[in-house]
Amino acid sequence: MRLSFLSPSRCEQGTIASPLRRALDTVSDTEGRKEQASGAELVIQHLVRDLSLRGIVEIRGDLDLVPPSAGEGLVRLSPRRGYAFTDDDPADVAERLRARGVLAYDATGALAGIAIASEQVMRRLTDLDLERLPTAGPFAHVTAIVRRDEAGWFEVYVQQELGHYVAEAIVDALAGLDMPPGLTPEAGA
Amino acid sequence: MRLEPQQRERIDRSRPVSFTFAGWKVTGFEGDTLGSAAFAAGKRVFSRSFKYHRPRGLLCCSGHCPNCLMTVDGVPNVRVCTEPIREGAVVRGQNVRWSLDLDFMSVTDKIGGPFTPVGFYYRTFIRPRRLWPLYEKFLRGAAGLGKLDEHAGHSRRYDVEHRRARVLVVGGGQAGRAAALAAATTGPGVVLVDEDARHGSLRLEGVEVLAPARALGIWEGGLVPVDAGTLLYRFRAERIIVATGATEQPLVFPGNDLVGVMLPDGARRLVRDYSVKPGNRAVVLASDDAGLEIADDLREAGIAVPRVLDLREVRPRELAAQGRKGRVRRLVVDDESIDCDLLVASAGSQPAYSLLAQAGARVEFDPELGVFVPTDLPRGVEAVGSVTGEGLGEVAPEPDYRGGGKCFVCVCEDVTTKDLKRAIAEGFDSIELAKRYTTTTMGPCQGKLCHLPSIRLYAQENRMYESAIGTTTARPPWAPVELGLLAGRELTPTRLTSIHWRHVEAGATIQWAGPWKRPYAYGDKPDDEVRAVHESLGIIDVSTLGKLVVEGPDAVALLERLYPNRFGDMKPGRIRYGVLTSDGGRIMDDGTIARLAGDIFYVTTTSTGADAVTAWFEWWNAAWGYEAEIVSVTGAIAAVNLAGPRSRDALQRLTEADVSAEGFKYLDAQEIEVAGIPTLALRIGFVGELGYELHFPSAAGEFLWDRLVAEGARPFGLEPQRVLRLEKGHVIDGQDTDSESNLYSSGMSWLPKLDKDDFVGKYALEHFARREETERLVGFTMEDDYLPAEGAQVVIEGRPAGRVTSARRSEAVGAVIGLAWVAADRAESGTRVEIRIDRLLRGARVMHGAFFDAAGERMRG
Repeated sequence: MRLSFLSPSRCEQGTIASPLRRALDTVSDTEGRKEQASGAELVIQHLVRDLSLRGIVEIRGDLDLVPPSAGEGLVRLSPRRGYAFTDDDPADVAERLRARGVLAYDATGALAGIAIASEQVMRRLTDLDLERLPTAGPFAHVTAIVRRDEAGWFEVYVQQELGHYVAEAIVDALAGLDMPPGLTPEAGA
Repeated sequence: MRLEPQQRERIDRSRPVSFTFAGWKVTGFEGDTLGSAAFAAGKRVFSRSFKYHRPRGLLCCSGHCPNCLMTVDGVPNVRVCTEPIREGAVVRGQNVRWSLDLDFMSVTDKIGGPFTPVGFYYRTFIRPRRLWPLYEKFLRGAAGLGKLDEHAGHSRRYDVEHRRARVLVVGGGQAGRAAALAAATTGPGVVLVDEDARHGSLRLEGVEVLAPARALGIWEGGLVPVDAGTLLYRFRAERIIVATGATEQPLVFPGNDLVGVMLPDGARRLVRDYSVKPGNRAVVLASDDAGLEIADDLREAGIAVPRVLDLREVRPRELAAQGRKGRVRRLVVDDESIDCDLLVASAGSQPAYSLLAQAGARVEFDPELGVFVPTDLPRGVEAVGSVTGEGLGEVAPEPDYRGGGKCFVCVCEDVTTKDLKRAIAEGFDSIELAKRYTTTTMGPCQGKLCHLPSIRLYAQENRMYESAIGTTTARPPWAPVELGLLAGRELTPTRLTSIHWRHVEAGATIQWAGPWKRPYAYGDKPDDEVRAVHESLGIIDVSTLGKLVVEGPDAVALLERLYPNRFGDMKPGRIRYGVLTSDGGRIMDDGTIARLAGDIFYVTTTSTGADAVTAWFEWWNAAWGYEAEIVSVTGAIAAVNLAGPRSRDALQRLTEADVSAEGFKYLDAQEIEVAGIPTLALRIGFVGELGYELHFPSAAGEFLWDRLVAEGARPFGLEPQRVLRLEKGHVIDGQDTDSESNLYSSGMSWLPKLDKDDFVGKYALEHFARREETERLVGFTMEDDYLPAEGAQVVIEGRPAGRVTSARRSEAVGAVIGLAWVAADRAESGTRVEIRIDRLLRGARVMHGAFFDAAGERMRG
């Protein structure tokens, strides 16, 4: 397949890792220590979730040609540029979209994603209007795509190489709010 | 001394709280402020004044005046009259030499007055000029506010929180509360902020109340920063309602700063809120009805009030407070002397319009009220309550009263009526100029207590109406704010490659490289890493390279017009070096362009030039209307350069693709699979050895790095890479070139194809091709083993003739080598030049081409 070197999904199983792994490892460690220290049943507040390996496809062309199907979300950056968020294999989705008359690229590895439960954490890091999502704009001094999922979590996507920095900023903001940061069990790769 | 429990007292007498005040242990109650507890414990002097070091006591008890500025737990300039009491707090005086009660610097008050008139430091200490630094140090030590603890900032955490509100009400008084409740009936999103901690317990249906929280200003777009201690709220509000009320103004008369002189609201707060007796024998000087009411309050609290003067009815010729050791003892009214230890004096109230003025409202003098009121409010900003002048009575106090002693207009900056009159006499007849000359209104109160009195005095002295004098410009912040709060959290966006942590684990020295963090070397011997690449196998993380996919029917046309060399004739699977030039023909950036298919190209840029090149591509693509897409994949792709004589064998063990010399030629690009990872392999060699640049999904960065290292590749960092590329004479854009460098002067005259159709910078390059360059970028070899610094001067016949851009000691070449700009007539190979090293001239020979493997056999092999 052409441009397959863009697709983490085309790598052999067990070879890929999230760019946020180390930043969020400290969160897991913190939780572990707390659990041991208290000796009691721990109520983990799942405040952050790693979305980095979630399928994302960058689309160039007439976005009206490719309305999102089930399990997909489309964020329009302009009439001819957008990101499709998909639960399917993004490389396959990119091929499908190309067949429908647009250019599409697997952008899964280009963006690091983190889901945040707390609106207050979001407010500590961005002045975007959280009532008007999805949108793109500044988050912790870098440009991010911000959307909200059906459960109300805020999803923040930034350039992969800035992912670790942003994750650290989020964990720091949680600490500032005295919220015990915790990962959901399925988080991390 | 505490009074019997008052009806609305805020203190909880069952919960004592202790702290240290100027070295003394003081015990107050929960609900007290540090100031009220200290006052109840008999403390009267809270600070020393800015210039004269006069003792100062509680004046407003509202957080407006500078009289209670103290250092609390290392944080300077805290207003203890509003700072909640806390167990174990350490409260110290500031701007004091010895103690609050005995300050040696108060000698300036006794003898310095005649020698220290307003602006004295501009005149008295102006000569000789060379001594100004000495004077400045002395003056700064003698006057001023608290000292910043250099380490305090690191121990406090400051945060910024962005909020949105449909309606933001500033001020929690009666009018503010009513406005907030009314707004809440029309929908959610109503927030009320107030600086008074008492409002923290306020419950208003449908209204979020933040207190203590002080609005600092109103900016465009409804931006209102709100200071909430260590948290700064940045509100964006659709509608802003200002209900900041009115501020009591001090009466201007001799001795008006003595300890024991208070504003009515200050005395009232001590009595009502904290059940503290502000004095035993009080005299009241009132300019309006509100000022008169305090007399009843004091009497109810059991304080003797032998005299109340309504200054609207009584116009004394002479009015002065007199005291002993800085504390008020009596009031002299004309020929009468009245003993007192508390003097409650007010010149009426001035609407606190600063926020409205900052937002763009006009401010006009209301002759009926005798105060300034806001008018013509900007869109989206409203005002309610006494900030509009509503409910205020007419006041018309004398601008100043005669009597013995200093008469202060501005207690923050120790500016007296005499100072202002002198400034007017010296020609500073504009209130804006006088503000800058005398510093009135520039102190910690930000004009809340001195603006109106100074204008009244100016009007009197200039025989003008206050309306003609006008006001000074209101600028944010409305109240002093900690710099740490404005700065918020320190966030430094840092780009890390997906392999970064492997470098850290391997003990690499990490350095900034533009916005990236990159390994400098993996030990203290970068030469060992160079040797590994020459003799065996090395690997470097080059994920930081900018990477673009350019695709579309016009992709070729776009590249042909962006670059000076050709791309239309490239076959799929081949790579070509490219240098971007500006419209002026100067070098912008360089990289490689691989043709992956007929209309798909993969372009790399320098690590620091990625964003600029992407923008450059997109701008021209839009300008020319080409049908080509430019997709940045910099972060999506990890890249490593596997280099060295063993690189082919190592790569072959990890792939089924044919990477032999015949199957994978120099400057070939192939999509292959390496250790199960889809990879774009580029056969290029920046470091001059047989090598492959492998581009693959960043998520697999650590995995493939580990596999290649397991094959025997030794990691090398930026420093070894600089040595290796220098051995090949390869140029680094931005280091060896600058904004004036062009392809001809930089030794790349082979690159531009001037017979092409138009391209960016063609006109300029044609010009460069015809003219004689005055300087050229050349290589050099030092005659001895001296290593010049980058930037070292090149000298020819004793005269400066260029500069060194890169220099390293090369083990492979056996000499110190480098690149330098030299005069064009001395750029011939073999020419001897001299380079200044540690002030001495050392010989070097100009050399063209690569220093090592000049024929490129190792790289192309």
